[in-house]
Amino acid sequence: MQRMMKKIVPVLLCIQFLLSGCAMLRPQQTVSLEDIPAYSGEPYVEIDGNVPDFPEEDQVAESFESYAPLDFLGRCGTAYACISTDLMPTEERGSIGQVKPSGWQTVKYDFVDGKYLYNRCHLIGYQLTAENANAENLITGTRYLNVEGMLPFENMVADYIRETGNHVLYRVTPIFEGDNLVASGVQMEALSVEDAGEGICYNVYCYNVQPGVEIDYATGQSREADAAQTDSTEETQEYVLNTGSKKIHLPDCSSVASIGEKNKSYYTGNYEDLLAQGYSLCGNCLGK
Amino acid sequence: MHVMLCLDDKDGMLFHQRRQSQDRVLRKYMLDLCGAQGLWLNAYSAGQFAEQERAHLRIDEQFLSLAGEGDYCFVEDQQIAPFLEKIETVILFRWNRIYPADQCFDRSLLHCGWTLRETEDFSGFSHAKITKEVYEKCRE
Repeated sequence: MQRMMKKIVPVLLCIQFLLSGCAMLRPQQTVSLEDIPAYSGEPYVEIDGNVPDFPEEDQVAESFESYAPLDFLGRCGTAYACISTDLMPTEERGSIGQVKPSGWQTVKYDFVDGKYLYNRCHLIGYQLTAENANAENLITGTRYLNVEGMLPFENMVADYIRETGNHVLYRVTPIFEGDNLVASGVQMEALSVEDAGEGICYNVYCYNVQPGVEIDYATGQSREADAAQTDSTEETQEYVLNTGSKKIHLPDCSSVASIGEKNKSYYTGNYEDLLAQGYSLCGNCLGK
Repeated sequence: MHVMLCLDDKDGMLFHQRRQSQDRVLRKYMLDLCGAQGLWLNAYSAGQFAEQERAHLRIDEQFLSLAGEGDYCFVEDQQIAPFLEKIETVILFRWNRIYPADQCFDRSLLHCGWTLRETEDFSGFSHAKITKEVYEKCRE
């Protein structure tokens, strides 16, 4: 028996080491995709009442930044920082084209802003921590994720810090499903330190989608969504408007049910007129 | 009554019950505009002004009801539609940025009966360009 145990124990230890080692090399994800509603036309959704989950001991006005090492599939993990003016850039951003994040593909669609489907998407934006071509801070993100999803949240934090000189705890976690090389989305959390969240406080999930494009998140490959979904509507038609988010929906869009009565209005005509008034198309029902 | 609001490029005002942004140069600009008559606002908005500026503030939660003809009001967290009758000018300060928003200004209020009288760009402290737009009621 003792001889058998001598043979089994090293094997068990090896298995335990491999399992724990793999776990350490996977990105730490605090959000389960099962808890995230399917994309329904808005670039982000609030999580946990929009309140971030930072440990008390981290809520200190001292700057730091850390980036998780790439995992065994070459994927980014959590980028975490306490940001103030001392970490912010003092010069223009340099080239980042040499970095190829996991799932990277160079592909163009005429209807995508800037044509390129994918951007090298900073987890913590350059305007916040001046990280340039740091492979541990760049993921394969759609133009939509970069500009419609993440950028407004970065802008709000950057301008708050520039104005107040305060610190903001800031954490961005890419959420991968299984062994997919392209993240399904990113969780963004931020909390202003000196005023205990009075200035900045959010916890959101931004969707890594591109309206009008179907993405294979396992590989990053993509194709244009069905023409029927992306058809431009030139004729006069009835639309439902969310006057809060400035989105245009078809009457049977699943997002319409979630529009509050005070933000809901109806419009019959050509949506081009609404675009000129600052509205944008719902990515779910109008597919742009 | 002259009403001043700060908006992003999508007419956003607030996100998660917090202002989208602020700028010390803009605060001084608003106080200069009001002159000796002072600036009407609520306690939340007063919170972004420095102690030495407080003497110029008229703080009340019902300020839009209390303000009279010619008074200046700074609105951050409420809609102005119920007070449209008594508003003489709407002054929008645009951040020229996009921030997240869950409460927006209802721009359709200005589509009928209002005209854009003046625009002006100036540099802020934390904003490269702030654009001022002044809308006034069309004469009958």
